[in-house]
Amino acid sequence: MIWLLKLFKIDRRILFLLIAAAVIIPLVRPLGLPTAVTPHAQHLFDAVDRIPPRTKPVLLSMDYGPNVMPELQPMSMAVVRHCLARKIPIIVMTLDPNGVGLAEDALHRAALEYPDVKEGVDYALAGFKVGGYLVMISIGQDFQTTFPTDAAGHPSKEVPILTNIKNYDDIALVITIAGSAIVENWIVFAVTRYHATLCAGITAVSSADYYPFLQTGQLTGLLAGMKGGAEYEQLLANNDLSHAPKRASQGMDAISSAHILIIIFIILGNIGYFLGRRKKA
Amino acid sequence: MFSTNVWTWIAALLTLAIFSFLYRDNPFYRFAEHLFVGISAGYGVIIYWYNNMVPNLINPLLNFGHAWPHVSKVWLDGLVIIPGLLGLLFFFMFSKKYSYLILLPLSVILGMENGLSVPTYLQAEVIKQAQGTLQGIHTPFIAGQTFFMVNGLIVLVGVIGTLSYFFFSREHKGVLGVSSKVGIWFIMLGFGASFGYTVMARLSLLIGRVQFLLTDWIHLIK
Repeated sequence: MIWLLKLFKIDRRILFLLIAAAVIIPLVRPLGLPTAVTPHAQHLFDAVDRIPPRTKPVLLSMDYGPNVMPELQPMSMAVVRHCLARKIPIIVMTLDPNGVGLAEDALHRAALEYPDVKEGVDYALAGFKVGGYLVMISIGQDFQTTFPTDAAGHPSKEVPILTNIKNYDDIALVITIAGSAIVENWIVFAVTRYHATLCAGITAVSSADYYPFLQTGQLTGLLAGMKGGAEYEQLLANNDLSHAPKRASQGMDAISSAHILIIIFIILGNIGYFLGRRKKA
Repeated sequence: MFSTNVWTWIAALLTLAIFSFLYRDNPFYRFAEHLFVGISAGYGVIIYWYNNMVPNLINPLLNFGHAWPHVSKVWLDGLVIIPGLLGLLFFFMFSKKYSYLILLPLSVILGMENGLSVPTYLQAEVIKQAQGTLQGIHTPFIAGQTFFMVNGLIVLVGVIGTLSYFFFSREHKGVLGVSSKVGIWFIMLGFGASFGYTVMARLSLLIGRVQFLLTDWIHLIK
């Protein structure tokens, strides 16, 4: 057992190297592990899928910056692809100043994959608004005052997808994909105050905080972390809605192998701790 | 094999500079860190200026005279001067003599936020969640679904146990002692779930960067 005690004092940089290997190898040589779709992801997919084409739009708020991009951008891309494939109008906005470029990139990259969709008719970028929850209240009062123009500066009254939107009543579904607690603001103001239907995509760190809102029905669907993005990508592929590379799904093999390694570290670490304690005693 | 895009190269080299901290602190890491902080701050200021200050304060003030003789529009545009001046009072934080003036905009913000938030938060986070706690055990008597009843009971026991753990007005003995011990178990389970999710989140960020290096930079995977 002395070797195990020695293992306990291993240089942490060796552990970093092992984690790097556990991440890189499955990315280069995929293991093809299956991704099970959770009911919450399925509910989000269904909520979008139920919207009839070219009727009320989906309002997608991409409330995050590049710091959580690997977790959340695949979700946003998947939701945008779903809407464009089904011709469900989608309006993209952001309440995070660093989210402007990401929102623009997601929308334009997905639009290239569906050449028959039209900017201003099938999708629009409303852009960034300062104010957090005040913007949510403002949308409930008057969308046109909140977004007098789209991100490119076209008056909202001249953009077909935006023309008839007065408030949440004219929006079929609100989806917030967020790297902060702003989801709670959406629940409090958009859902409680204006009775909007809300789904959320969140980082894995905050996932545990939002399950209670699913139980109460304040959230209709939920995507949690990179796994959530992979689930939505899987649903798109199952329904033949997208053939684009599945970034989140590619990462799931790496996550699984790294998790197994970390579980081994935790078990070894605990054995080492108890052996060390016994030796001291 | 490698990307020919200069921006991809810059992003890749900066990513490697940040990763170099895993070996030890070094000038490459510090350069990348300071660059990130500086660019983020500068980018944020510009975005806020053009998306908030210009449309909400500067433009209405510049258009103030142009709206004449539409008196109502003139007044509406002119009113932005009030929040503008209130906002400027924040700069008195740099003055020892007049720093108390920042209390004025602060009180306006706090008053407005409390007025807007307290009733709705109470409704969304307390009343609705309390309903949700009991919802699970109520459902089966209507729908006859045993699973939801068991689930609902676990939620109810967990909530009562956790609340009793944080009840400090009596010694944790007898019924309260048992209940608070049950609460500790639920709290531990909650921490465990959060920790597991945190590990997944941090790994996802690493995977995102590795995907960028392997896909966009060295084109090893598609």
